[in-house]
Amino acid sequence: MNKNFVNKNFGGGPNFSRRRIAAGLVIVLAMGACDSTEQGHVKGVTGHLPDLSFSLTSDKGQPVTAKTYEGKVLLMYFGFTHCREECPISMARLMRVMHLLGADADRAHILFVTVDPNRDAPGELRRYLMQFDIEQATGLTGSPDEIGRLAKRYRNAYRPHFPPGGDGDIMHGDAVYIFDTQGRARLLATSADPEETLAQDLRDLLPA
Amino acid sequence: MEWFYWLVPWEESILVVAATGSAALFFLRGCAVARPWLHRKLCFWGGLSLVYLVSHTQLDYYSQHQFFIHRLQHLALHHLGPFLIILSRPCPVLLGGMPSRMRQAFHLMAGWKPVQYLAHILCNPVVAVTLFSMLIGFWLLPSIHFTAMIDWRLYRVMNWSMFLSGLIFWGLVLTPGPVRLSPGSRIGMMLAIIPPQIVIGAIIFFTSHELYPIYTICGRAIGGINALADQQIGGIILWIHGAMMSAVGILVVILRELMLAEYPKNGQKVA
Repeated sequence: MNKNFVNKNFGGGPNFSRRRIAAGLVIVLAMGACDSTEQGHVKGVTGHLPDLSFSLTSDKGQPVTAKTYEGKVLLMYFGFTHCREECPISMARLMRVMHLLGADADRAHILFVTVDPNRDAPGELRRYLMQFDIEQATGLTGSPDEIGRLAKRYRNAYRPHFPPGGDGDIMHGDAVYIFDTQGRARLLATSADPEETLAQDLRDLLPA
Repeated sequence: MEWFYWLVPWEESILVVAATGSAALFFLRGCAVARPWLHRKLCFWGGLSLVYLVSHTQLDYYSQHQFFIHRLQHLALHHLGPFLIILSRPCPVLLGGMPSRMRQAFHLMAGWKPVQYLAHILCNPVVAVTLFSMLIGFWLLPSIHFTAMIDWRLYRVMNWSMFLSGLIFWGLVLTPGPVRLSPGSRIGMMLAIIPPQIVIGAIIFFTSHELYPIYTICGRAIGGINALADQQIGGIILWIHGAMMSAVGILVVILRELMLAEYPKNGQKVA
């Protein structure tokens, strides 16, 4: 048998148990206390998500890129017109945010990117968005791969190819990706953020 | 060809391909020289393919978009994968399979003072246990987890740090290795990582609100599982399965010591 069976670090001495308790306490306290979201503000993602870049077709049937919307604060949302749950609620919320922005709404723009490109043709998207009565909104469509690349770039759960045997359910999150006037990702809004907070944070992104 | 779909990487990483590819190549070449036992080969290939499959296939999509699958991915990257790789005692085989210049470079590097200091610190039992446990807690802090899941660079740092800390930890405790820790201290180290995992797993399981909203924000991969159920399954995986690996490790060490005591010549074969 090894003579050093009782090692100085792990002989069950006071150091060992104290360290374990201390480590446990640190973890518990850190997990309980840590949430960096400032109260009253939308989650900031500056530097963590890439700049906006896409090449898709607008709801007017024209090819558009991120450059088309340069100079505007952009709110990008992934959804589809046949969605009966999250999408209408999210779009209604964004409509209210635009109303709250008042005159500043002209300097902001909503991009509704369809995750059902096979059914959502430009005309379909146009009709859908007209229901919400927002001028500053554009529907975007493209090939499933193009939209898949954009969704993956922003860690959205949509993917264009389903696994063999899968039921083909369309998965997408309720995230609103917010970009500043230069196309840099700045905020990640969710359904939990109040519209007033979102409107205020959007104003802060607008150049004076 | 349906199975091929699952092998297509969700996000390509040259580093993962290069690391697993060269490890596989060196091990194959080394096998011709060192002729390791079959169970060592099985352990190595099992561990390496597990690590590759969870980090460089469509499974990565599910890990990014479902909390409990993310926990399973880390169970493979931090526990089971490195555990199996270390169990195969791959160092002599890998070194044997390397081109001679690379082997010389490794020997040269091992002589450098800064490398020796770093190895000395990382191989300290207290540091290894703390690093192993703290990394689990660190990446599960809600705000850190949020950022790691949206920033692809941080996501890769997270997965690599888990795998490397797993390699260091299991490398120290499963085999006597170059540090020559006694079996008692190695068993002590495996016992020491159990309480932090139980505490973190239990906190996640018993929290009644959503700790990790990022999965709801970006969308979940599997429909029909709500946020809290996903979180609770993830907590249970950490709580029970993470801690269970220690029990397996302790059995391996005890078995090896018994074999060494009874059959000093054949004991080396175990573990």
